[in-house]
Amino acid sequence: MGVSIVPTLRVLKPAAMMVAVGFVGLLIGYFANAAFFPGTTPVQPIEFSHAVHAGDYEIPCLYCHTEARRSPSAGVPSVNKCMGCHAIVATDSPLIREVARYYENNEPIPWVKIHDLPDFVHFPHKRHVAAGLECQECHGPVETMDRVTRMAPNEMGQCLTCHRDSEVEHGIDCLTCHK
Amino acid sequence: MSLIDDFLARWREYRAPGYYEEFDYHWTMTVDLDRCTGCEACVTACQAENNTPIVGEEAIARGRHMQWMRIERYWEGEYPDVKLRAIPMFCQHCDAAPCETVCPVSATYHNQDGLNAQIYNRCIGTRSCAVYCPYEVRYFNYNNHHWDAPLEQQLNPDVSVREKGVMEKCTFCIQRIRQAKDAAKDDGRRRVQDGEVQPACVQTCPTEALVFGDRKDPESGVSQMLGNERAYTVLEELNTDPSVVYLKKVEADA
Repeated sequence: MGVSIVPTLRVLKPAAMMVAVGFVGLLIGYFANAAFFPGTTPVQPIEFSHAVHAGDYEIPCLYCHTEARRSPSAGVPSVNKCMGCHAIVATDSPLIREVARYYENNEPIPWVKIHDLPDFVHFPHKRHVAAGLECQECHGPVETMDRVTRMAPNEMGQCLTCHRDSEVEHGIDCLTCHK
Repeated sequence: MSLIDDFLARWREYRAPGYYEEFDYHWTMTVDLDRCTGCEACVTACQAENNTPIVGEEAIARGRHMQWMRIERYWEGEYPDVKLRAIPMFCQHCDAAPCETVCPVSATYHNQDGLNAQIYNRCIGTRSCAVYCPYEVRYFNYNNHHWDAPLEQQLNPDVSVREKGVMEKCTFCIQRIRQAKDAAKDDGRRRVQDGEVQPACVQTCPTEALVFGDRKDPESGVSQMLGNERAYTVLEELNTDPSVVYLKKVEADA
């Protein structure tokens, strides 16, 4: 009756399952971790251009991200702050109309976080702004980007190199960032 | 071969006692047992401040309780003539800590402030430190913990929420120490002044039995307490040189 392929398949079945599970794991792992790789450029709910605001019009970073001056978190500006200018400026633009819709509905814009640190790292923006660091040293040339790309690897080596080079007092003690 | 020699030389240098002799601060706490009533307000404050999970009945039955701070109770005498002795027990931040020498990944180490640090993301959960700790104040996360809504809203954002497989213990409220240092820097000062840092337990203690401060500052409240003749450290014979100093209870008939 010829040679049946079924016994061979039966042997290969576990191996095939393993490969399939491994492949699915790889896919999940890749997409779950994509946010942590440098060079990712997530699509934002509104095509806000840093190149226009911080580049062409030279609005200082800290004008919108004011919290960086006084708190650990740099903060995303509220819709209210957008409307502070855009109640008057470029009100006809379709993008601004979208912002205005969020404003009227009393809803925050669901911006996608780009530079995200693990929860066990406590990075205070305040101290670094007070030390006179330029935002661009970690965030890259944001003022040239239409859609912001994650530039910094945000790995511990980057923190330690800078803390060593700038001779931060006890700056490489673990408890400086981990607590 | 030279690479291994180099590694071993560095290892020995790091492991040699006294590598942390030069302290910047030397955070110390004193516990006046004459004032302590054993009310456990400090225990509650610690739990709230440091995101310590509530492990549940089953875990406690298996000896997997989580409390960075506990009140040890000792009953003396026969009923009805009994006396209660309450001793708050938490990480003693020993200067010669047994736990530090055994950690295979240096997740626990002594830092320049005289603190016994525990770095959660470096910990691999061997639990050897808990075995070596003579005070039994290290707690291991046997499970991932979860806070029922709305309890997750009260988690302290300045403290990491620990995961399964990680050792944890009292940090002398390192987040508050960092905050005080931050404020000092804003004022243009290099050092934190006495009284600017208060761990949650010290802040809460209704009888002010706990005093926290920098031992290197001779004027600080804690330095004044250290001169007291009632001062002693727990398990002194082990030469762990703890940073927590207890003041003996005053006995009426002794």
